[in-house]
Amino acid sequence: MISLPPSERDLHAYVDHQLLESDRRLLETYLAAHPEVAAQVQAWQHDAQLLRASLSGALQQPANPALDPALVRQRIKQQSRRHFATAAVLLVAVSLGGLGGWHAREATQASMLPMADAMQAFRLFAQEGIMPADYNGQDSGTMQAWLDRYFNQAHRLPDLSQSGFKPVSGRLLTTEQGAAAMVLYEDPHGRRISFYIRPPGPNNGFLPRGQRSADGLQAQYWSGGGYNYAMVSPTDQPPPSMQPF
Amino acid sequence: MPMHELDEPLRELIPRLRRFAVSLTRNASSADDLVQATLERAINRWADKRIEGDLRAWLFSILYRQFLDAHRRTRRYARMLEFFTGRDDAQPSVERTVIAQSTLQAFDQLNTEQRALLLWVSVEGLSYKEVADILDVPIGTVMSRLSRARQALRQLSDGEIASPSLRILK
Repeated sequence: MISLPPSERDLHAYVDHQLLESDRRLLETYLAAHPEVAAQVQAWQHDAQLLRASLSGALQQPANPALDPALVRQRIKQQSRRHFATAAVLLVAVSLGGLGGWHAREATQASMLPMADAMQAFRLFAQEGIMPADYNGQDSGTMQAWLDRYFNQAHRLPDLSQSGFKPVSGRLLTTEQGAAAMVLYEDPHGRRISFYIRPPGPNNGFLPRGQRSADGLQAQYWSGGGYNYAMVSPTDQPPPSMQPF
Repeated sequence: MPMHELDEPLRELIPRLRRFAVSLTRNASSADDLVQATLERAINRWADKRIEGDLRAWLFSILYRQFLDAHRRTRRYARMLEFFTGRDDAQPSVERTVIAQSTLQAFDQLNTEQRALLLWVSVEGLSYKEVADILDVPIGTVMSRLSRARQALRQLSDGEIASPSLRILK
């Protein structure tokens, strides 16, 4: 039972249809006699109407098949695998990144070499294949769209289809320089090449175009659009022929 | 209820969950990631949930917590910010209608809890009690926060009209 004059809370409860029927009638009588209070209440009602109207469009979005409960249930079954993957990502973050801790000496030496993290990522994901991908693309267009969610105005994914390579999966990584991604290309013979992208890091370590090889891997690297890039492939495989940017 | 019987009611609520998620993240793809995480958690925890109250309110509460957790994590790992909220964070979506634009712009300027409160109460029509359960606060607290949210929305909507964005551009 409310008392008159109504408290502000009562007025809100009225707007939200949360008053008892008897209270509602009591309040309506009061509002009829107090136009300034009624105007306040109407303004709130009006805002609520506008909000409902403007948010109703958001209910009409095209369905996203990835959100279907049956699919979600399926993915949960692979969860233990994913937990393992999360642990692996942390490990990778440490080993790709680290200038800190007990790992410091090796890591410092490694990071002097351009895009050492790109080669390390290739070793872990393309060669040892220990982790499921974050994204599996159907074609280069969707892979590009996936990448564009994370990197702004970056160079386009190179088109290697002439040599038979197509982008098949993408992975997100954290490095000392910031968030990185690796897109893996594969050809019909199962050979692999990776495209790697990350920010230059706090010291803006942009790279002149170059290439180097180490431990059975070769990397071509360059900078542009605010990021550093590398293409990595095994040395026993011809390096990808790329359009110059 | 056996597990798979949950699927159909969940499916029906997905548009509402996506709408709520967009109003929190302001970004469609982050919103869908959030909804997906919510569905996973709901399915995982369904077995432990005693059937009480509204499925919708329960899902909203899971989604809201997940969003707050992700938000806290992003602050901790500032570097990963783009991954959770996206770069085009504050861009309004196309389908928003012109007529309600100033209300919507005002709504987008409210803080997270105020946006959630107004969506739950004004748009979804949840009861104060349900909202109190979600936020784990007394009903009286819900009412005073709601009142503040509404005043803020009112002021911001009026402010939009009083100072058109052209003035800012110079």
